[in-house]
Formats: sequence, structure tokens, C-alpha cells
Amino acid sequence: MDNNQDSIFTRWIIGILRNRKAITGVVIIFLFIFLAALGPFITQDPTAFLSTPLSPPSWEHWLGTNGQGQDVLAQTISGARQTLLVGFTTGIMVVLIGALIGGISGYYSGRIDDFLSLLINVFLVMPGLPLMVILASWLPPGPATLTGVLVLTGWAWNARVIRSQMMTFRSRDFVSAAIVSGEHNIRIIVLEIMPRMLSLLASSFIGASIYAIGAQVGLEFLGLGDVSTVTWGTNLYWASNDMALLTGSWWNFVPTGLSIAIVSFALTLINFGIDEVTNPRLIAERVWREKIPIDTVVNGITPVVKDHE
Amino acid sequence: MNNSVISIQNLCVNYITPGDPVKAVNDVSFEIQQGEIFGLVGESGSGKSTVVQAVLRTLPPPAVITGGKVIINNKDILSISNTEVLQYRWKQISIVMQSALNALNPVLTVREQIEDVLKEHSDLKGKAAEDRTKELLSLIDIDVSRLDSYPHQLSGGMRQRVVIAIALALMPPLIIMDEPTTALDVIVEREILAKIIELRKELGFTILFITHDLNLLLEFADRVAIMKNGRLVELDKAQKIRSGGKHDYTQKLIRSLPSASGPREKGLLPKPKSLVLGDQPILEVQNLSKSFYDSGIFNPMSIDVVNNVSFQVFPGEIIGLVGESGSGKSTIAKLITRLIRPTSGDIFLKGSNLKISEARRVPLEYRKQVQMVFQDPFGSLNSVHTVYHHLARPLLRHQLIPEQKLFDYINEMLETVGLRPGTTFAEKFPHEMSGGERQRVAIARALSLSPDLIIADEPTSMLDVSIRMEILEIFARMRIEKNLTIVFITHDLASARYLADRIIVLQHGSIVEEGIAEDLIQSPKEAYTKQLIKAASPGWLKSLSFKNTKEKDVNHV
Repeated sequence: MDNNQDSIFTRWIIGILRNRKAITGVVIIFLFIFLAALGPFITQDPTAFLSTPLSPPSWEHWLGTNGQGQDVLAQTISGARQTLLVGFTTGIMVVLIGALIGGISGYYSGRIDDFLSLLINVFLVMPGLPLMVILASWLPPGPATLTGVLVLTGWAWNARVIRSQMMTFRSRDFVSAAIVSGEHNIRIIVLEIMPRMLSLLASSFIGASIYAIGAQVGLEFLGLGDVSTVTWGTNLYWASNDMALLTGSWWNFVPTGLSIAIVSFALTLINFGIDEVTNPRLIAERVWREKIPIDTVVNGITPVVKDHE
Repeated sequence: MNNSVISIQNLCVNYITPGDPVKAVNDVSFEIQQGEIFGLVGESGSGKSTVVQAVLRTLPPPAVITGGKVIINNKDILSISNTEVLQYRWKQISIVMQSALNALNPVLTVREQIEDVLKEHSDLKGKAAEDRTKELLSLIDIDVSRLDSYPHQLSGGMRQRVVIAIALALMPPLIIMDEPTTALDVIVEREILAKIIELRKELGFTILFITHDLNLLLEFADRVAIMKNGRLVELDKAQKIRSGGKHDYTQKLIRSLPSASGPREKGLLPKPKSLVLGDQPILEVQNLSKSFYDSGIFNPMSIDVVNNVSFQVFPGEIIGLVGESGSGKSTIAKLITRLIRPTSGDIFLKGSNLKISEARRVPLEYRKQVQMVFQDPFGSLNSVHTVYHHLARPLLRHQLIPEQKLFDYINEMLETVGLRPGTTFAEKFPHEMSGGERQRVAIARALSLSPDLIIADEPTSMLDVSIRMEILEIFARMRIEKNLTIVFITHDLASARYLADRIIVLQHGSIVEEGIAEDLIQSPKEAYTKQLIKAASPGWLKSLSFKNTKEKDVNHV
């Protein structure tokens, strides 16, 4: 009977699809996911030794080969697989844990909040980077370890933000009204408050994903990942090992580096788009600037445009 | 027409949207004469504040002034250069805003804020500026010792006086007052207005007074203009408007709020012919107290918000809890609905079988029996859900209606509160409805559980005046039709008088006076009640004495 959840999602999706920034970002991300998923079927074997090491781009190998004579294009495309998987998984887990701990902490005041706030604060003051490096080098390398390490060092900030947002919603009348009508607390959190925080959750997810991709590549570049797998991080690790920069074989690191930059850029575009869709004032002001003569726009003085239609 | 201070001719303002522009002000023209008080009345969305901000050229995006002239001192404000705009602001026109707490900077003292204006717009410096600041404070009856106070150290009324002082600082010929007293309690509001009128007599400036409250304006304005949907619908002398005006809308506004004194008008808000109160109260509140603690390490404080309040509510009656802000009336509502726990005291529902005040977990049965209607209908509805969801959730939770009948029942409830056709409204989201419609949904939600008791916390104060009566009528009708018991909480004695059978007057968290509504209005016993009644009756301005205001404000702090 309850089809309202659909309608807010529908409104959102329509908004995102109509937003130029967001749709550009979405298209780019889907393109990468598509390539990553189909990678093994369309490229050569990324781990096979195919040709002379460090040969420049050619018809046979569009992006040349690396120090082991492996195809760079194949490596870039299959590298996207694990990198994006770990990135988005971390993003989802960070938001879920943040929403769970931050949400409960902000909704129930008192002792529960005291305890969970303490937990959040402890994780916030832990120095993330050294902890990440230590854990990654101590645990057996692999995608699960990477995800775990990234979630562990990244969830607290999100939990903190969601907690504050939850606290402001907690004191709103619509929550009081739900309490007076006898609604369960968990239902109030999930059904009444969470949909209102959708934009925060979505941009938290995107922020966390960008962070996870960056940090993951960084760890792997330092050799703290599983160097036998093909990911964007290990691609760069090997490129550095083979002294690609010194030998001038740019095709070794540019494709991977560019991919990372483009994915982060696309995610940021989606974030902007979400902002505009959920905050109509941003659009109103942009439209206003577009529709009136530029010389009448002065900060703090209302423009006069006679016969404006 | 040489002595007009400002002349607005065919002013048009658009709000730019991705689609068609919204015409917020449409062809509005009026002149204000030297020395008069010109009132501009309208409900929210009528464009009255937009007119004022267009005159000052302070409208934020996405507004654009699309036509007309605003002539001050033979100059058209809409065609002068941007630097000239900055010069004429405050020197020619100053403005007093609605919320004094927002208009004042919380980290600057009163002295700094007044001297800031003098420094920016005049040559006064050092001693001269200080003298002028002191002079301004004495004008508005604030002691010079408060010069170095911060805004939070002043009462609401004093803050508003400081804002008036800042507006007076450069003695502009025209002062715009945009709802200057709306955020204040009635008694303080009356004092401030009296002060404004006294100052005008003394100093001879002109006032453009913006408000949503026509009855208030008719007490002191010389001429009144009424706006609706961006257009001026009527402009006439105050006496003419008072006697009814020409436009239907004017009459609707005048009749929107009844008076707190005089004989009761017939035909407004039906009451049952005779009210026989049973022996057994439906709700009994005994020695209820609530304190809020600030558990600071250095200076822990506790504030008693509700102090030893006891009263009984009998089945089928409407009881009015009347008080100003800070009287604890909303806290009582939250205590009865157990949104917060009392510090001490007992609440019994239907005799002694439910002692709700002590329960750790409020039983579901109690949630069904006691429902609440909140003040702000936009805040009390969740913007992501449809009307249907708002009504369906409580019904499903309490399993009152089998699921297949839910749709018909909700439809019926919506039509009961005047939302027809119910099926159309059920699919709407809160933002697709007007304030009045939203409040009807909130009432339907409270009614749908067939509760024994409804707590209505200021259900009309956020609504436009012309629809307040309609909302009160729903309560009056439901009481008769469903034998509902209602605790009606309000700051407005007049609406309590018309809706409630009994009235309890609250001040500082304690009960001042309690009695049958009409008896209490006609023959109040306590001084505070008398004061409240006087402030809510026509003609209060003439009866107000101007002398005592200074002492009162010093006592406020």
C-alpha cells in the first residue's frame, strides 16, 4: 500500500536525470562500470606476457606494454574492476555504519548517545593514515583487507555528520507527531527521518567512495596491497617500480592516472548535481543570473529590468 | 501632492523561476503623505514585504523589479545609480524588521551597533556619536546603563526598542516597520506600539507599517492599504476600512478575529446548548512540575518551566490554556502527550487506572487515546510523505481499521475536516497544499484514531488570519459531533474565549486564574488577566498610559 517511498525516489531520479552535471557524472561512472564488468571479454589477458617490455602504443597494443610486456589497455580496464568494487563497497559500508551508529546516537539522547559519541570521537582522533598503513601491512593483503581498513578508518566522520543531522530532525514536530501516534522508534528513524536525510546519505556515499578510491590507490602504490592482482593502484606501483617516468614511457602510468582522475571528477559532478536537485534555491539563483542582463547584477542591490518577461 | 514622502507608481516585481516568472507584486501604486501612519496589510504571500524590500532595493535573488517608479525627493529610486542607492538607504528610509533577535548582531553591544550606523552614514565621531547614542536610548526609554549590554541580555521588547533606535539614528523622514511586534507578547506589543506613536508625535517622522493583523492596524493607522496576491485590493482611510470597506476580502479580514471583551458575538463557533460536566474527569493533572537543567560543571542551573500546576478536564469540554510565551503552556502539552517526562507530579487519564507520568514506556493504549495537533502544520507533516501515509501509519500501528477499508476510511476522515475530494488530497504532498489545508490534514490525523482527548497547541497561530476561524470551527464542530475533549492551548485570549468552555490563564509556569470562559472575560479577578483582556480589546491604545513603560522594562531583566 505504501508507495510513497517510490515517489520521493522517482522525484529524485527525474531530477538527477534532468541535471546536466549529474547526468554527465552518471554516464561516465556507468561507462567505467560497464568496461570493468566486460573487461575480460573484450581485452587481451592483462597478466599475460605478450610483447617486448615498455613498447610504446601501437596497433597491436593501443596503449603500449609495461615493464613486464603486459598490455596496458587490458591492465587499465581490468584494474577498474577491483578498484571500483573496493571503492563503492567501502562507500556503502561507511554510509551504512555511519547511519546506524550516528543515527542511533543522535536519535536517542542520554547514555546511548554518550557511549556512541565516545566511540565516534575515539575513532576520529585516531591518526588515519598511519593506522591504515600499519593495518594494511600487517593483515594478509587483498581486497577484503583493503575494504576493512578503509571502512575502519573512514566511518567515524560520517557517523558524526549523520548524528548532528539526526539531532536536528529529532526535535522537529513531524517526529513528535509520529511519537504521539505511537510509532516505533526504529520505524521513525527508517521511515520518517532517513528519507529526509537522503541527500546527506547520497553525498556521504559519494564522498566516501572518492576517499576510498584515493586511499586504496595510495596504499597499493606503496606496495601494501596484493601486488599480484591487477588494480589501478598496483598498475601505478609497477609503473613506479619499472621507473616508467625515468624511461619516459608515459603510457605506463597516464591511462591509469587519468582514469582515477576522471572517476573522481564524475563522482564530484554527481555530488554537485545532488546538491542542486535537493536544494532548489541553487537552481533558482542560477536561472536568475541567466535570465537578466549581466550588467544589472550587483551584490546587495535588487536589479531593475523594465519590461522583463 | 507636494508633501508626499514617497510615491510608488505601478510597481511590479517578478520572481524568476525556470518556468514562467511569478508576479509577486503586480502594478501597486500608493503615496504616503508627510507625517502619516500608512498601513499595508496582507497575509503571507500577499507581496507586502516584497513591496518594502523593492523600495529599499534589498530583495535577494531571484527577484527582479520589472516596472514602475518609486519617487523619493523627486528622484526615482529605480533609475538612480548603485552608489546613490547605498546613500539613500537609512538616510531617507530606514527599516525596523520583524525579529529583533535576528536584526541585532549578537556579538556587538548596543552602543557598538548604534554607533556603527552613525559612523557609516554621518560625520558624528567620538563624543558627539556617544552623546547621540545616549540621546537615542533615552528616546526609547532604555536606561543609559544598558549601553554596553549585548542583545541576549535584553528582553524581547527592549531589543525591539533598540532596533527602533537604530532606525531613528539618522532621523530619516520615512521609517518602514515590517511586522515590528509580531514576535512579541501581546502586552509588550502594545507598549512598543504606544512608544512608536508617542515618538512620532514628538519627532514627526512618517511610518509605513506592514502587518498581517488588520485589527491591530486599525487602532492607530491613518490610511490602510490591503494587498492580496501581489495586488492592492483596497486603499482607504482607516475609519472607512473599519466600517467594513468595499472589498469582500477586507470584510473577511475584519471578521477574522473576534474581540476579547464586550458581549459575545452570536453565530461564531457553535457551542453545545448546555454543558454539563461529569463527575469523573477524563484527564487529571496534579501538582505537575517541569524543570530544565543545564548541568554545566561551573554553574549548574535549573529553570522551572511548569510549576505545581493542577487542573481537571472533563469529558466533552474544551478547555483553553492561555498564556504568553514562557508561560509553560506548550511544555504542559508536551508533558500530557508524554513527549517529555515531568520532574514531579501526576497525570491520570480516565481516573486512576493510567498513571502516565511515571511510566517509563508510554503504553500504546495511551497513544491512541491522547492525540496532538501541532502549531506549525508544515513542520508537523513530513515533506517526503503523502497525506495518505500520514493518516495510514497511525491506523496501521493501532490496527483500528482492516487494511482493505483503510482507503475509504482515510477518504472519509479527510472530507470530515473539509478536504474534498478526499481521494485527491490523499495523494498530495505537504508542499502541494496551503497552510490551512496542511493544518486540516494534521487535525484529520489526530482525529483518525478516535482519541478521547486532543491537545491542540496553538493550532492557528502560524496560519493566515482569514483562515483561522475556519480551523477553529472544525474543532467546535468535532466536539459536538464526536463528543471530543479538547485542550486548546493559545496565546490569544479572544480565540480561547470563543472556542473554550473554561479558561485557565497561565503565567511563568503557574496558574493565575481559572474559570468559565465568559465569566472570566466579563469579570476577571486577577490583575494579569485584566491586563491580557485589555490588550486584546479594541481601543486599548487610548487607554494605555505612556508613563510607566520605562520602569516596567527595567524590571523585565
